[in-house]
Amino acid sequence: MIMEQLRNITAGDPKKMLKPILWAVLANLANIFPFGCMAAAVSMIYAYYAKEQPSLNTQGLWLAWGGMVLFLVLVFLCERMSYRATYRGAYESSAEGRTHLAEHMRKLPLGFLMKKDPGELGHMMMNDFTHLENAMTNLLPQLVSGTIIPILAFIGLLFMDWRMAVAMLAGFPISMLLLWGVSGLEHKLGKSHSKAKIVQANCLQEYLLGMKVIKAYNLRGENFKRLEQAFYRYMKESIKLEGVLGPFFLVAIALTQTGLSLMTIVGVYLILGGEITVPLFAMFLLVGTRIFDPLSVAIMRLPAFKYDAMAGERIVSLLNQPVMTGEKEPPENHNIRLENVTFSYDKNIVLHNVSVEMKEGTLTAIVGPSGSGKSTLLRLIARFYDPQEGKVLFGGRDEREMDPEKLMKKISMVFQDVYLFQDTIRNNIRYGREDATQEEIEAAAKKACCHDFIMKLPQGYDTMVGEGGSTLSGGERQRISIARAMLKNAPVILLDEATSSLDPENEVEMQKAISDLIKGRTVIMIAHRLKTVVKADNIIVLDKGKIIELGRHEELIKSGGLYVKLWNLQTKTNGWKLSV
Amino acid sequence: MKHKRKKGIPRLLELAGEKKSLMVWSGILSTVSVFLMLVPYISVYYVMVELLTHASDISAVDAAYVLRWAIWGVVGIVLGYFFMYVGGMCSHIAAFRILYGIRVKLSDHIGALPLGYFNKNATGKIKKIVEQDVEKIELFIAHQLPDLINTAVMIVAIIIIMFSLNIWFALACVIPMLIGFASQYSMMAGKKAKEGLREYFNALENINTSSIQYVRGMPSIKIFGQTVHSFRKFHNDMLHYRNFSVKYTDNFQNGYVSFKVIILSLATFFLPVGLFFISNDPDNVAFAATLLFFLVLTPGISTPIFKLNSFASTLNVIVEGVNRIDEIFEEPTIKETESRQIPSSYDIGFHDVFFSYGGGSGAEVLKGISFTAPQGKITALVGPSGSGKSTVAQLIPRFWDVHNGSIAIGGVDTRDMRMHDLMDTLSFVFQDTFLFSDTLYNNILAGRPTATKEEVHAAARAAQCHEFIERLPEGYDTLIGEGGVYLSGGEEQRVSVARAILKNAPILILDEATAYADPENEYQMQLALRELIRDKTVLIIAHRLTTICEADQIVVLKDGQIDDIGTHNELLSHGGLYKNMWDAYTSSTDWKIDILQEKEEFA
Repeated sequence: MIMEQLRNITAGDPKKMLKPILWAVLANLANIFPFGCMAAAVSMIYAYYAKEQPSLNTQGLWLAWGGMVLFLVLVFLCERMSYRATYRGAYESSAEGRTHLAEHMRKLPLGFLMKKDPGELGHMMMNDFTHLENAMTNLLPQLVSGTIIPILAFIGLLFMDWRMAVAMLAGFPISMLLLWGVSGLEHKLGKSHSKAKIVQANCLQEYLLGMKVIKAYNLRGENFKRLEQAFYRYMKESIKLEGVLGPFFLVAIALTQTGLSLMTIVGVYLILGGEITVPLFAMFLLVGTRIFDPLSVAIMRLPAFKYDAMAGERIVSLLNQPVMTGEKEPPENHNIRLENVTFSYDKNIVLHNVSVEMKEGTLTAIVGPSGSGKSTLLRLIARFYDPQEGKVLFGGRDEREMDPEKLMKKISMVFQDVYLFQDTIRNNIRYGREDATQEEIEAAAKKACCHDFIMKLPQGYDTMVGEGGSTLSGGERQRISIARAMLKNAPVILLDEATSSLDPENEVEMQKAISDLIKGRTVIMIAHRLKTVVKADNIIVLDKGKIIELGRHEELIKSGGLYVKLWNLQTKTNGWKLSV
Repeated sequence: MKHKRKKGIPRLLELAGEKKSLMVWSGILSTVSVFLMLVPYISVYYVMVELLTHASDISAVDAAYVLRWAIWGVVGIVLGYFFMYVGGMCSHIAAFRILYGIRVKLSDHIGALPLGYFNKNATGKIKKIVEQDVEKIELFIAHQLPDLINTAVMIVAIIIIMFSLNIWFALACVIPMLIGFASQYSMMAGKKAKEGLREYFNALENINTSSIQYVRGMPSIKIFGQTVHSFRKFHNDMLHYRNFSVKYTDNFQNGYVSFKVIILSLATFFLPVGLFFISNDPDNVAFAATLLFFLVLTPGISTPIFKLNSFASTLNVIVEGVNRIDEIFEEPTIKETESRQIPSSYDIGFHDVFFSYGGGSGAEVLKGISFTAPQGKITALVGPSGSGKSTVAQLIPRFWDVHNGSIAIGGVDTRDMRMHDLMDTLSFVFQDTFLFSDTLYNNILAGRPTATKEEVHAAARAAQCHEFIERLPEGYDTLIGEGGVYLSGGEEQRVSVARAILKNAPILILDEATAYADPENEYQMQLALRELIRDKTVLIIAHRLTTICEADQIVVLKDGQIDDIGTHNELLSHGGLYKNMWDAYTSSTDWKIDILQEKEEFA
């Protein structure tokens, strides 16, 4: 159990805490010795009053004090080492943990990540690690010193008088039992508390991202009920967590601390029965005053520790998600073939037994109603997911055997939703190829028809882009993404044709850019406007996850199937005019 | 908002003062509890004195007396923890209520800020403040403030007792304690520490922002073969945060460790004083008892002192968090009028409007725009991208305020209307659709929360979404987003149109949505819009010129100025920018993709 918690607290790498814990133990050990000297001093004074010795052993007393001073220095050194090890260990470990998690995330199937709420993943990366830092720097040392001293003291005292030692810690097992008994409840409350917290985070994210709509519909502040409710529920959960668990913990601590009184009672009877001496009893009392407080602090910190450990649990469970495997190189040939591919999200089958071939250097169009599986087909080719049944072959080799990163090098994607990074425009384009020169970047930007608008920006290529690209228009973002793809220069291009119509004012430019990009490559594109793809080498018509028609435009138009229906519908909408 | 905000501890106390009576009770109860907690130590002291006085004849020890003290010890602990619980609950309830209040106020304030604020501040940063920085206040109100009160009271009490027992012992205890505190505080209160803290917070915000980007930009990261190490900034931000944290905590190392060791070893400091007196006057039993008292009691005070210490080290962090919260509160909101005028007619008039996004300083996006969109007619805004047509539309709902000139609805300046009333006269269909992660029903209902079920269904029907909604497993109760369904772009757009239809406001601002142009969706979207615009004053930002060529009035914008106004035919006959755009547009619709065509040219 303890190892498990420790594993969680260190995000799966408990060895990190070995050094800090070791130093903490040493520091606490060193702390016991001055105490022994003190006990010795007390018994020397007592011996004089008990008339066991004719005069006060002054020399012995000063010697005992000398011992205390000496150990003071030792304690200082150990504490210092422990402090360093703890803080360094914790920050080191969380930086490595964050890096490790981020790398791991990158290797997970994109499909898996897209199903997750980005707010939640961001929360994990940030807040959950902050929890771990807190647990490692703050709670762990308190837990270690709170438990080590009592354990050592108990063992030591057992040798002196077992009855006294047992009386001292008699309450402890009972209180542990009590805590163990409520751990189920604790877990339950903790889970629902942290769920409330996540709901709060998600609502907040929604509120911030949907601000325009919220303003437009007068949903601001208290009127956006769900956010207010999320805040309220989180408040209730927080109070509940404190209020319900609090009494159990306090009873447990009180039980432990009554050991001091219990020991006093037992001690007095033993003394009166002549079974132990007064100095021994005094020593027990002195030890008693020393151990119960740290022990109570440790018990009191336990829930916080466990709560933080839950953050670690979330991280560890994500780290346990299987990453995409395969290490073979993708072949030089770029034929793409799907063989009996069946793919489902959760339990909904999205593609059903799809087999099709896309030859190198040809243009394949995918058409079909929304929800027919067009995007999924493209994503499978890019290996965002692996299919549950069948194979996706790239150059004749199963994609599952290939190194996902190397496969990605072969593919460029131009989709509708472009996410730009908060960075300069130059760097955003340079993601296409890290070692590109300024000339190459500009050439790509010119081909993608974005050079002109970039030059109009206040700092040209050095202009910062807002988070997600928020300072640019949709069409401008698109063209930057095309420039990136140009720079990447991959042999296979996956394209969403609707991209071209995102910025109708510049549609001509966009079309030119796309035509330039796909020149002489293997292209697979989702087509919305059928007119655009009448010259495609092959048109796949998808409906409800199945290929229902396949062929060139001339062939399909003759067949009288879904394609013809869509074609007619589209000719009708093109003439649409807005009027009252 | 007028008065100057307090900073630091006074500000925290001001926050805590919102639940004053709970806080007072918490202070009293926790103080009582702390004293009760000392009872076991005192009982140990009396027991030891009893033993000491009868050292030469153990059988004379009064067992009943000892027993009584042992029981008093138990009673002290039990009552002590009881009061601690009650006091703790008072402060926790107060704290969580206060946090709730701050969050509600904060989100309300954020909602009243101009949209420009969100362009300047990443959502990750704002989120962190509302979640984490607010959360930190709990520590102060629920734990530190009561602890501060009870510890301060107890330390004073103990020091008084110590001095009344023996001035030399007391000095030998208090002086090292003061030294410990001093070594600690000299480092905390220093200017360097405060600057360090600011830097720490900045480092934290940086990784927050870059990690959100990393997560949101994951598709791009993968496609372009980035790693954590190569992904600009992120890795650096993480390393910077780590290095900084280590450096920052290193600063406190010696101060903190000395403090800790001194407090743990108080006995080492006063023992020599005791030994000095006792070796000069060995037969003074009362003195030996006092020595015992100190030996027994000092561990008892170290725990509260440590609490006080953690107070100092985290207080700075809390205060800095509160500063960030207050920074948001200090952002000026869009001003609400006192006059509360309500227009009686619904034409939109722009009068010589000037505007720039960067406040007064930035480049001007609109330069002297004047036009009127007549009631019940369609007015279209066209122009190259960057000409300012979206900005024109966003000024009407006061997402931003104009710098010069004015915008009026039915002759009433929009700034003289209450925001609530203004929004009630407007409906929007934005290009970037946003649906809440709530049921479809509630998403549509947001248009008019008082609407009946029939009205919601009717709106959905008119917006061509009733059919697909009914086909979903849970119909209108289907959740959108995680744990529910993800709609296609076109479906999302139609749901947002349904919302606008339900709202049925007299003015409609429409950003012609074109992003998800698959044929079926587009057809249905057109049917939906036809329903929506009926009898409304419509202002449409048009991207496809064919759509608006029958509009009652077309406003052509160029570089933030009006280039021309007229109907389609009038504008074509003027032969200016509009005609050029029209020609380019008609040629773009003939686009056919062919990868071979180009290759043949090369051959």
